[in-house]
Amino acid sequence: MPLDRRSFLRTSVIAGAALTAAPYIRAAAPSRKFRTALIGSGWWGKNILKEAMASGRCQAVALADVDATALEVAADQVNGLSGDTPKIYKDYRELLAREKPDIAIIATPDHWHALNTIAALEAGAHVFVEKPTGHTVNESRAMLKAARASGRVAQIGLHRRIGPHHVSGMKFLKSGAVGEVGMVRLFAHGGGDVEKPSPNETPPDGMDWNFWCGPAPLRPFNKRIHPGGWRNYLDYANGQLGDWGVHWLDQVLWWSGESYPRRIFCAGGRPVRGAAVLNDKEQTSDSPDHQVATYEFEKFTCVWEHRRFADNNSEKHKIGAYFYGTKGVLHIGWRDGWTFYPAAKSGKIQHENAQLQEPDGHNIALLWADFMEAIDQRRAPIAGIELAHRATVLPLLGMVSWRVGRSIAWDAATEQITGDPEANQLLSRPYRAPWVYPGA
Amino acid sequence: MRPTHPTLPAFIRHAAGLALAAFLVPAHAADWPQWRGPKRNGISEEKGWLDQWPASGPTIAWKAKVGLGPSSFVVGGGRVFTLGHADGKDTVFCFEATTGKSIWKHSYAAELGDKFFEGGTTGTPTLDGDRLYVLSRWGDAFCFEAASGKIVWNVNVQKQTGIRVPDWGFTGAPLVLGGRLILNVGESGVALDKATGAVVWKSADKNSGYSTPLPVELDGRTLVLLGSSQSYLAVNPDDGKEAWRVRWVTEYGVNAADPIVSGGRMFLSTGYGKGAALFKLAAGEPEEVWKVRAMRTQLNAAVLHEGHLYGVDGDTTSIASLKCLEFATGAEKWAHKDFRTGALSLADGKLIAISGTGTLLIAPASPDGFKPTATAKILDGKCWAAPVLANGLIYCRTTGGDVAVIDVRKK
Repeated sequence: MPLDRRSFLRTSVIAGAALTAAPYIRAAAPSRKFRTALIGSGWWGKNILKEAMASGRCQAVALADVDATALEVAADQVNGLSGDTPKIYKDYRELLAREKPDIAIIATPDHWHALNTIAALEAGAHVFVEKPTGHTVNESRAMLKAARASGRVAQIGLHRRIGPHHVSGMKFLKSGAVGEVGMVRLFAHGGGDVEKPSPNETPPDGMDWNFWCGPAPLRPFNKRIHPGGWRNYLDYANGQLGDWGVHWLDQVLWWSGESYPRRIFCAGGRPVRGAAVLNDKEQTSDSPDHQVATYEFEKFTCVWEHRRFADNNSEKHKIGAYFYGTKGVLHIGWRDGWTFYPAAKSGKIQHENAQLQEPDGHNIALLWADFMEAIDQRRAPIAGIELAHRATVLPLLGMVSWRVGRSIAWDAATEQITGDPEANQLLSRPYRAPWVYPGA
Repeated sequence: MRPTHPTLPAFIRHAAGLALAAFLVPAHAADWPQWRGPKRNGISEEKGWLDQWPASGPTIAWKAKVGLGPSSFVVGGGRVFTLGHADGKDTVFCFEATTGKSIWKHSYAAELGDKFFEGGTTGTPTLDGDRLYVLSRWGDAFCFEAASGKIVWNVNVQKQTGIRVPDWGFTGAPLVLGGRLILNVGESGVALDKATGAVVWKSADKNSGYSTPLPVELDGRTLVLLGSSQSYLAVNPDDGKEAWRVRWVTEYGVNAADPIVSGGRMFLSTGYGKGAALFKLAAGEPEEVWKVRAMRTQLNAAVLHEGHLYGVDGDTTSIASLKCLEFATGAEKWAHKDFRTGALSLADGKLIAISGTGTLLIAPASPDGFKPTATAKILDGKCWAAPVLANGLIYCRTTGGDVAVIDVRKK
């Protein structure tokens, strides 16, 4: 706490000085940058860290990863960009204890988010953690509780809360231009085919695979899982619904102001990819190749669909949200911006282009700037953990319904599934020793 | 000299008694039988080819479609070979070099392998006399009769050795050295008997990199240099024993660009922000001479010409530049921006470069600057394969499989 107050005062002084100083002084780096650490130093984590460095407010002081090669690459890239030589750690707990960073960026796979985030908050860091918050609902609740107790800023990587075409699309939607909206359809479609098993291997040199799996089940190492493929392994993530679904379901919460649906039903499977394989020799992924989830809100119905086959060339859009109103259909998408298709034949199609950072098509720079300002002003960030928790719970409830094969009723006040103890139990999952499931 | 008929095409004047195919080639024509050319340095010995063309653009000799992949070309015996992927199959193509007429092709089942790119074949065949060797991303090795496409032998190296396939599959072209076929498979290579495909030696079951085995003469002995997932290393081709290694860690293990060895020095460069370094090759471990970030060759190695390196700095996901660096010092001489991850080769002191979006450029290779004498947009799509000049024709392709062959024969 004392460390944080000190840094807060100092940055406030600098911010005050900047208002009256000549532009070149404002352009110079503040005398003390946020000591920033990255936990999970793969592709996406480095993308966030690069935005942090580019903001001019942050110095990369330490990196953690269980893959020594990934760490070496990340440290070298930081050096190439800033000239700094960050300290490297295999164990995030050691990093937090020794470095006491002002900010921790967490970009590990989903199954690590809760333990990493809670530890970072307890170590006094402001946290920027990738979406989704948790891998199971009660992890997310524990993260929320830890964030509230810490008094630190916790920003979640829901950059679609600040992306320019999302902001303007949402303004258009809330202006009434789409009329009374009674239904929303969210979707993420692509191509794909049958999945052949891939041979298991010994982990690469320098990779602590046991640590990578951490609290989740220890699967045999397979290059399809790491790097990059873990999203489709349900031990570590929640497939397309847990990845894309969080972004688009969050848009629905943003638009509607609702906290939760009251009933959820989700169906899906792997008819195209084929039955999941896992044995000593080989494995496939195990996430559904398609899912349809229905979210029954008080005033509207929301449907999620994803397909990893057939692509979607019969429609104009492959990803995004359709808001169906009495005056027409609003599509808010990704690289295709937003488009309003009026119901009236005399109406005119309206469109706004996306404004994204390429090559990856996101708005992390804007989200990071908001994070900085939230820390400076001690305000809630634009994609804070309060709303991101709810945005995460929605896809996770879809996964619970899919697992039990029936619809579930959700009590928003207690955050419990009612009348279905079996489903309710899936709000948590057993952790692999020695890791302990975080208590909410 | 007696004046000739003014309307007679120029070539007829010199043609007397020669077969058509023979006199259309440049003054110093050359085949391109292997990856990076006859001397494995990206340079063709060919001279006397057209380095300019009219405003209307160069002559397109022929076009073809070969399927997905950035595989390059090899040329010899009047034939040109490449690889491509479509509908769950890789295909080896053999065309008549000057016309593009299909001579033979052979398809085999293969995965698309579209990890972070469109997928398709990534390797390049190797021509050795009357034999053509192919290694697929998933370990299928073939020896064909180059003339007919008849399979001499076919083995799956992955299954034979039990060695893992790296994330993007085996990519280095086979190296024919003596009676062996040396492949960048495993931590430090695998050697097959080139006559039978039998495994002669193999290395540890670790990820290979994506470079093509490079033979070098050092202190009177032959070594083969390979990029593995975490190092560049030198092995004895007789027994596969490692002579030395330089730890060289690139993101995702993409040690793809071949080393460049000259005057007892070895130049290494890879992408993903890594950069480049020069090493002195001494009796023991190589010693670093200099290290810079100015050249980060993600896919294709640079080309060394008269003390200067010409290569691409940047990744497929960035706005990559074509650059010139001094070999001795690493000093950057110039940068031609927005080249993207195209590729280049060199002949008669000229760069033959294709931008990452399909513009072919001819320019003198000079540290003084990049001043193209000819420019033409010849392909639409991503161009990751270096243009191959052989016998007055420049072979180019997109990763989508569109082939365009440019005629630069003087007529």
